[in-house]
Amino acid sequence: MKRALCTALVPVLACLLLVSCSEKQDFGQYDDLAVIPTVEASLLYIEAPERIINQVSGLNFVQQTFNFDAFAEAFVSERLVDGSVRYRVENTTSKPLELTVEFLDEAGNTLDAETFTIGPAPTAVLVREIAYGPGGRSIDIIRNTSSIRVSAENLGDNSSVSTLPNPMITLQSSAQFRIRLK
Amino acid sequence: MKRVLWACWVGLLGLGPLQAQNMELLYDFTEIPQALLLNPGARTDFNWYAGVPVLSGLSLQAGSSGITVHDIFADDGLDINDKVRERAVDGLSIRDEFTASVRMEVLSGGFRGKYHPENFYSFGIYMDANFISYWPGDLAQLAWYGNANQLGRRFNLGHLKTRGELFQVFHFGVSRQVSRRLTLGGRAKLFSGIAHVNSARNSGFFVTNTGQNNLLAHTLSAQMQFQSSGLEALRQAADGDPGELPATFLGRAFLGGDLGLGFDAGFTYELTDQWVVTGSLLDVGFMLHSTDPKTFTLDGRATVEGVEIILPEALADPNRDFWQDLVDEVEALVPFEDNNKTYLSFRPTKLYGSVRYNFGEPVSNRPGEPCDCDITPGSTAAALSYRNALGAQVFAINRPRGPQAALTGFYMRMVGRWLAMKATYTADKYSLTNLGLGLQFRAGPVQLYLMGNNLLGYRNIADSHTASFQFGLNILSSGSN
Repeated sequence: MKRALCTALVPVLACLLLVSCSEKQDFGQYDDLAVIPTVEASLLYIEAPERIINQVSGLNFVQQTFNFDAFAEAFVSERLVDGSVRYRVENTTSKPLELTVEFLDEAGNTLDAETFTIGPAPTAVLVREIAYGPGGRSIDIIRNTSSIRVSAENLGDNSSVSTLPNPMITLQSSAQFRIRLK
Repeated sequence: MKRVLWACWVGLLGLGPLQAQNMELLYDFTEIPQALLLNPGARTDFNWYAGVPVLSGLSLQAGSSGITVHDIFADDGLDINDKVRERAVDGLSIRDEFTASVRMEVLSGGFRGKYHPENFYSFGIYMDANFISYWPGDLAQLAWYGNANQLGRRFNLGHLKTRGELFQVFHFGVSRQVSRRLTLGGRAKLFSGIAHVNSARNSGFFVTNTGQNNLLAHTLSAQMQFQSSGLEALRQAADGDPGELPATFLGRAFLGGDLGLGFDAGFTYELTDQWVVTGSLLDVGFMLHSTDPKTFTLDGRATVEGVEIILPEALADPNRDFWQDLVDEVEALVPFEDNNKTYLSFRPTKLYGSVRYNFGEPVSNRPGEPCDCDITPGSTAAALSYRNALGAQVFAINRPRGPQAALTGFYMRMVGRWLAMKATYTADKYSLTNLGLGLQFRAGPVQLYLMGNNLLGYRNIADSHTASFQFGLNILSSGSN
């Protein structure tokens, strides 16, 4: 009996060892793995009521440069693939206005500028989407942006008041970019 | 570094899940002394045993429940990005897990009481490393797809659950045959922690919605925690003088690190001469993590809509840094903090149970002698002397996502004293085709055992969800020699 069991087990074990194998694997495929999520975030919101616009003498009622390090973060700037910035401008004041958004590099040089000229209410909402990367403007603009300058000009008078409730100009914006994680 | 990462990935995916700590082949295999580690109330007939240092018990187990190496790396001409997206990112659920464990006995031994032969004492030291990480569902989808065009979708931060530890165990146990049919046992354990990481109590979400002012509003509501101990000193030793690493490691292993206490308890009860039930509860205990402990927390809720310039408030301070204000606001609402407070962790408690029917011609203790069926303390138990046994086992373990269980059917066969084998079929949520085989060889006082499960998986190991291997070498004396 012992001999029989032994005779049976040894080949079983030997077979197990011999048949243990693996189909061909190609670990080099890892190099082809691309993890590129598309992330979306609000960027900038500007709101200027008409009463404030009327109070400011001169053309420029807003001239503001502010630090914006979101794109300059190494993790983001080194991995940016392409994307777009979407703007939505709405004017419910009684005067024509002009808004300019400039992307500046670390030295303060203008890398890109977008100007929105919009007539007095009633007027259509202005929506614009700017692409960056292949087929659009250089993605380096985004990579090198360190600050944003916003300026707004009153192209009308300083006395008229819109009949609409709570008249103001607003600029909404969001950015959508693909980032290569791997 | 990439090769090392891939070696880990292959190790995790290619070898083998829940099985990571289920030693179904060794449980109730009472011809092997190490079975006492799984049931201190196991009924054995050893007079004494001594494990060969470092070689008396080596167990390697790993697994993944939802995916294999083959699923991703098969040389099948398909784009790896499609395979990862379909089979991992979209294919895995948050209950899928990756596990790995290694146990190595450093020292083990046991002896029967001289004046109380009904008592069998066993002791030893073993090193244990184990790791489990659940598939982080929503976080993986966020990393793969991003949050764009997914208004209103809440990415659940609670999907992050992972735990890993490396520690050494000093143990001493007693198995006592309290009556003709009942054997009870207990084991005290002293844990000496080397390293520990844990992030299992997370909750919260990240969501993008239409904004009130701006186009989008992003809300982060997080209650997250990551704890570790022992890592900093090991890192410093590795960064400073790599030669110090072994000394630091050994110092931790031998009671110089985190300390904890625990116990095991078990029993064997013979319903009749042929029907036997057993059960054990293992690793009821805790560990106090006081060696360079770190606890990182992210706790709070914030909603942002980007940089907001609202007149006339924005004109008040022309030098205002809106971006930094936004960053500061978020950091104040959802502070990321860390502390060095000592923390407590509980051992993942395990439960085993079995019912066994012994049958066939009894194995004589000495060639030519009939079985001694009149059981006295210390003598060979009749229930152990049958040539065949058929039974069922159940295993359960407490996991970060709740208890998990496995059911095993087994057949045991003894060929005299020199060979015993155990074949198992195990079913759990990961596999319904897990066949295992364990063999114990004896040559005089020398005992060798080999065990492996999921044998069908060896046909293509890369496509296997689970596998384990156990090996051991002992010197022993039992009722027959």
